[in-house]
Amino acid sequence: MAGEPVAVRDLSDGDVVRAVMAGDAERYAALVRKYRDRYARYATRLLGSVDAGEDAVQDALIRAYEQLAQCRDPDNFAGWFFLILRNRCFAERRRKRREGPLEGAEVPAAPDRSESDLERGEQRRALEASLLRLTAEQREVFVLKHVEELSYEEIAARTGASVPSLKMRMHRAYDRLRELLEDHQ
Amino acid sequence: MTAFHPLVKRLLDGELTLGELPAELRAEGQAALRILAAVDRSPVRLPEALDARVMAQVRRRRASAGSLWRWMAAPRVPVWAAGALAAAAAVLVLVVSRPGASAPPAASVATAPESVFVKFVLYAPDAKRVSVAGTFNAWDASAAPLARAGSSGVWTATLALPVGQHQYAFIVDGQRWIADPAAPAVDDGFGRRNSVLSVSRNGVRTL
Repeated sequence: MAGEPVAVRDLSDGDVVRAVMAGDAERYAALVRKYRDRYARYATRLLGSVDAGEDAVQDALIRAYEQLAQCRDPDNFAGWFFLILRNRCFAERRRKRREGPLEGAEVPAAPDRSESDLERGEQRRALEASLLRLTAEQREVFVLKHVEELSYEEIAARTGASVPSLKMRMHRAYDRLRELLEDHQ
Repeated sequence: MTAFHPLVKRLLDGELTLGELPAELRAEGQAALRILAAVDRSPVRLPEALDARVMAQVRRRRASAGSLWRWMAAPRVPVWAAGALAAAAAVLVLVVSRPGASAPPAASVATAPESVFVKFVLYAPDAKRVSVAGTFNAWDASAAPLARAGSSGVWTATLALPVGQHQYAFIVDGQRWIADPAAPAVDDGFGRRNSVLSVSRNGVRTL
């Protein structure tokens, strides 16, 4: 109803984006809260460490604010922000690759140190180390499909790649992982 | 390289089950599934301090944009006129009036439709035609032509822009896109730079 106050929790992403663009910058905090953790796992798994993931999410949120005028569909802020974060992660991967191979993936130690947990932890570390040796594109499709558990169609909608090319990328990643994990043993 | 059998890859994709694999591929399938069993899907929680860091940057950027507006709003027409004549292209955005100033308050900030007249000025003495395109007219290069102001080489157009942030660029002779050389610009993601202005109920500022 006209003139009735609108609670922040009731605002859609599009409402918040339009409010920020109208000059109410403090409303941006709602988007920060909402998306801080939603894509944290994606960035962390793509970059191999929580610290790198945190930096990427923080930078992407600031960049999204700076470029908010370019968000042509405010109601799809989530998809637009994902692409900014994705670009940031890929840029970080390129930078790291120039500096040297990515190593030392962080996999939190299991609190229960039973033999099976230790074995599972070792398998996780081996997989994480192997994932870091995939190309950025292969690693991304693996993370989106098997960590975020999205379908190829959902990944295609987010990244703009076609389903056949995503499948080809993924299948090459399977073969490369097999080779890397065999070397690891 | 040791490649998985194509059917095993379909197993990993979730398109087949282990039982649907031919018997001779089941061992390979089981080995492949062990890769997926090692995937870490535990959630990642980032520290709440991140919110404060991001919002501090947001406020800093907003404050510096405000400083720029105050600089733009200062009476400096003679300086601009001299600079415009010296530059190949110079752009100025001015508030002319606020058509929505006497309108009743909008229902909420999120839906406020108020607009402000903004004058776009471009010094382009050799141009045959000039227009301005931006987020306010869906980047339509023909939607907002500028008119030549006498023989001075200055082109102008006054548009009513809704409150909010807008990106824009000038198009000279239908081909050459020019960002405002006097204002910060943002990368449009396609190799061009767009100027940015923010229209509020109190005026206009470049960002």
